[in-house]
Amino acid sequence: MTPDPVLLEIVSAALVSAAEEMSVTVWRTSRSTTVRELLDYSTAVFDANGRNVAQAARMPVHLNSMELCLQHVIAHHIPLEQWNEGDVIVTNDPYCGGQHLPDFIAFKPVFKDGARIAITCVLIHHVDVGGGAAGGYNAHAVEVFQEGLRLPPVRIVRAGEMQDDLFATILQNVREPETFRGDFLSQLAALEVGARAMRRLAERYGTQTLTATGAALLDHAETAMRAALSALPDGTYRAEDFVDGDGLEQGAKRISVALTISGSDIALDFTGTADQAKGPINATLATTTSAVYYAVIAACGVTGTVNAGCYRPITVTAPAGSLVNAAFPAPVSMRMLPGHKIAVAVLRAFAEAIPDRIPASYYGTTFNHAVNIRHADGRRQVYFDSELGGWGAHPERDGPNALAAGFHNGQNTPVEMIEALFPLRFTRYALAPGSGGAGKMRGGLGLVREWEFLADSGLLNTAFDAFDSLPQGLAGGQPGRGGSLSVTRDGVTVPLASKTIGHPLRPGDIVRMETPGGGGHGDPALRDPVAAARDLADGYVIGEPS
Amino acid sequence: MTSPHIRIAVDIGGTFTDLEVTDTASGAAHSLKSPTTPDDPARGLNTAILLAAETHGFALSDIALILHGTTIATNAVLTRNLPSGALITTAGFEDVLEIGRHARTDIYALKGPDRALLIPRRHRFGAPGRIGANGEEVRPLDDTLEVVIEQVAASGVAACAICLINGFANPAHEIAIRDRLAKRCPDMAISCSHEVSPEIREFERTATTVLNALLMPVIARYVTKLRHRLSETGITAPLYLIQSNGGAIALEAAVQAPVKLLLSGPSGGVLAAERLAGQLGLPNVVGVDMGGTSYDVAIIADGVRTVVTQGEIDGLPVRVPMVEMHTIGAGGGSIAFVDPSGRLQVGPRSAGAVPGPVCYGRGGTEPTVTDVNLILGRLDAAAFLGGTFALNLNAARVALDKNVARPLSLEKDRAASGILEVVNAKLAASIKFSLFARGLDPRDFALMSFGGAGGLHACEVAGELGITTVVFPRDPSTFSAHGILQSDILHDASRTEILPLTGESLPALNAMADDLRARGAALLDADAMPDDRRTLTLTADLRYRGQAFELMVLVPDGVADEATLITLRERFEALHRQRFSFDDPKEAVELITLRLVATGHLNDGAAPLAFAARPARPRQTRAVHVDGKWQDIPVLQQDSLTPGSEITGPAVIEQVYTTMLLTGGWTLTVTPTGDLIARHTAGKSQ
Repeated sequence: MTPDPVLLEIVSAALVSAAEEMSVTVWRTSRSTTVRELLDYSTAVFDANGRNVAQAARMPVHLNSMELCLQHVIAHHIPLEQWNEGDVIVTNDPYCGGQHLPDFIAFKPVFKDGARIAITCVLIHHVDVGGGAAGGYNAHAVEVFQEGLRLPPVRIVRAGEMQDDLFATILQNVREPETFRGDFLSQLAALEVGARAMRRLAERYGTQTLTATGAALLDHAETAMRAALSALPDGTYRAEDFVDGDGLEQGAKRISVALTISGSDIALDFTGTADQAKGPINATLATTTSAVYYAVIAACGVTGTVNAGCYRPITVTAPAGSLVNAAFPAPVSMRMLPGHKIAVAVLRAFAEAIPDRIPASYYGTTFNHAVNIRHADGRRQVYFDSELGGWGAHPERDGPNALAAGFHNGQNTPVEMIEALFPLRFTRYALAPGSGGAGKMRGGLGLVREWEFLADSGLLNTAFDAFDSLPQGLAGGQPGRGGSLSVTRDGVTVPLASKTIGHPLRPGDIVRMETPGGGGHGDPALRDPVAAARDLADGYVIGEPS
Repeated sequence: MTSPHIRIAVDIGGTFTDLEVTDTASGAAHSLKSPTTPDDPARGLNTAILLAAETHGFALSDIALILHGTTIATNAVLTRNLPSGALITTAGFEDVLEIGRHARTDIYALKGPDRALLIPRRHRFGAPGRIGANGEEVRPLDDTLEVVIEQVAASGVAACAICLINGFANPAHEIAIRDRLAKRCPDMAISCSHEVSPEIREFERTATTVLNALLMPVIARYVTKLRHRLSETGITAPLYLIQSNGGAIALEAAVQAPVKLLLSGPSGGVLAAERLAGQLGLPNVVGVDMGGTSYDVAIIADGVRTVVTQGEIDGLPVRVPMVEMHTIGAGGGSIAFVDPSGRLQVGPRSAGAVPGPVCYGRGGTEPTVTDVNLILGRLDAAAFLGGTFALNLNAARVALDKNVARPLSLEKDRAASGILEVVNAKLAASIKFSLFARGLDPRDFALMSFGGAGGLHACEVAGELGITTVVFPRDPSTFSAHGILQSDILHDASRTEILPLTGESLPALNAMADDLRARGAALLDADAMPDDRRTLTLTADLRYRGQAFELMVLVPDGVADEATLITLRERFEALHRQRFSFDDPKEAVELITLRLVATGHLNDGAAPLAFAARPARPRQTRAVHVDGKWQDIPVLQQDSLTPGSEITGPAVIEQVYTTMLLTGGWTLTVTPTGDLIARHTAGKSQ
């Protein structure tokens, strides 16, 4: 049954609206600043068979992994015919289709007249999941068991009844149970808001029309993707990138990808990628696939309606036990580090096929860092923050300086707000001159972030990357400058590793971090002299000493 | 000789300068349109006032007050018609303006976005000295400031913004730098962050201060021209400009704080909607303004327009209080097309004014929403703009057939009505979303439709939302000017200090409140506002400790004491429950910003104006596609409707600048003031 083209648009908009209403509900009803300020959550709507038909635009890393998780749950844990009216199924297990433990993915089947018509989904990054470090980033972990509470796919709500015993068990195992509880209840509320919207749609247009429309939307998205892929030259294109290392063992970890376009199909094969790491820089297949989906959709330029139809032409092969398909019980909390580099590697492979549309590499990491602070009066505080760097240059444009790119998206916290709440005083928050890779088009600049520690004592933890594995240029462009971290005490500056664990801080210590600039594009000798002179006048590049 | 009794509101738009004239002695009101003169808008304004005086028989000396809405500031920013500027920051933070807040809007784009960079890096200078988070001086200014001053002087800029880290908490360094710079460069426009936006969050404060500095020469030039034109003509009445908060501001004050004029364009319509909602006894109203390219949604809840403390222009934050407005790209000019995957799309691409819809015959080839309204008989090809502008129905039909009906294998009528269904669903979704985000339910609201293109869509959009009351103001074409006429002088002032909402903060809280009240009083003194026409209102931005954002609540009058704190907490928690569905009685509440609105009342709250209908004209009918089929339905002229009369849908009501469609199930009543209220007779429609 081909649905009426008008109804298709109206129902399509209503499905996206349902996902957006769920998203607003999470924002309105959640408790933590992780959700409210960093916006670390995502919502989506699935058809009765668990195919993603609509998303609310939030985090690329989340959105394109939800269906994988759902399909994994259905295939290996709770078959769809056992999903009953009033149930809510939740998991955070990286080895049951998830990515890392802080992300709790909850699903709710929606029924009308006894028949399942849809599934709603809300993913929230919770503030804590127990384990070896507050917030779930235990850099010492060598097994997932050390990273926190692991919940297999379970019915937290059964036929409308909250399973209090189970919920109490979860709350007993996390550091901030009240915040967790609030965020989790908001997750449940949003699932129901989505369910109500879907029941309204089914009432208004009929279940059959709703089903047919969902199917048609997926077909249209697939058509758009296949049209874009067909326009690309057939062939196999290879690229690689690296993660610096896990902080426990020496040596960079290779990510290797072979991208094959044949007709309107695309296959990504990660054979040749390094074995999984001892420390928590591993990706599960869900992370890897999500990064691939992001990169392929972006490279194809299909941005209108992103849904599971976009995934159909894509095949992913990742060797088991490797960095990109970690085997149980490998630790995975820093999965964003390989995640970024997977997306970068796939985009670099695309650059072989469509060199005029793909930018050089972006900063390619998330600069998460935290300080466990101890005040003179014994009071404790945890300062958590995140930073990013410069975009790679596009064949037609310089890369933007210091802007969210690629696999993630997010907001910084104002310096004045940090100083008002924590014992830090910033000495510099500025672009890093010369950090953008040279090229006909210049890479975007990374950042310098420098502050003085004011409290009695503190421990600095970082989950940085791209100190050694630089954001590469393309078509003769130079790489961006890598990141760095140092502490200056009494006039002596000591460089620190990208994964620094528990470095002690004293009052007056100056912590300085620099994030990577993006790669350049094209031969630097071909740069427009006017642009080059402007870069020099503006100090984006460092001039030759005269 | 009577005292001056004529009040004039002027709204300068892209094409027309709208005038609304009220005689406070007789209660008479008139509207007038005259062409805008884009090269020198003051000239068009002057001409319009002279024309009004001549047409309606008043002397220039009879004018008591002129209220003026202007988009000069907004246009200067959007077209980058700004002078070159410099920025002085705390050394080490010169790039805050460029670093921004990081988040991107298009998550799949691989080509970097265009980012507005108002001041190039070479003109951003770092000054010595450092203020700490509590306003303490961490490091004093020193002699190296002279180097910075010389660098600014040598840069040859016309304007300079000064924004130091924590400058909101202690302005001493900003003031010292300004004094030094003003002495060295007496002709330079200088703006300090502690005056423009004395609130925490350095990027937002810097961007707002920079915009203010760059706009100062622009607005100063306009005000000089305006004064010159008016004095040349002999108009001596006081003139005020309209700000984005919906209030009026004196010219002298506007020259110092031109950023307050940004985004003031739509506020007139919202003020008018607020006033009309009050007159009609409707506490909750969604005001929608549908034009050629956009659909603006504003909310009036419990009788009051909702305001926000920050807006955005061209991707840059503008942190001044403003009327809340949500805009989507959907209007009469929105283009309907079939995308490469075979799906029907309507907008956000628009045919704009040029080439415009196909039926305008100015080169448009893609069918628009206006074309479809014409094809379905909802618009009359012969009566558009009072019959002064003939529409080409056939060309519209050909374009629809070629671009939409045939590619989708749809009958022409289905293609046309389908396009309207899609666009109406979008409009309804934008309203629903605006309300949903505030925790409000559309079914508790009436829909008020103003703007040229909205009347044809209002009933169907209301139906989508379960809204059962729709209001069409008597004269939507001058509605915004009418709203401006209701403006009072409004001054905003604010102070940021993070304080726990406990007894120990009371001295600091009262000191801040006294300071703000004194500043408000001084501003109203400068306006020569008599005491009995003043209102000072304090609000507080509160949050639970550590929350990422604040909610604004009203502060009780008088000296704050323990009881005040309890009231504040109750108000905060009630609002928190409404917006976020929970409160947390055990969590500490903290104050972030205290705000003052100082009102100088220009209005006496004059009674609504009487409306005299023209003689009834013969009732006509025409074939219109409505409620899913072609029907011969009545076509009425709005100016011939008598108060109290009732019209049952379906029917079309026309006036010169707009057309309204009443669909089946709706009954329309004409109020004594000539406004139209439609009610869904079947009760709640959803």
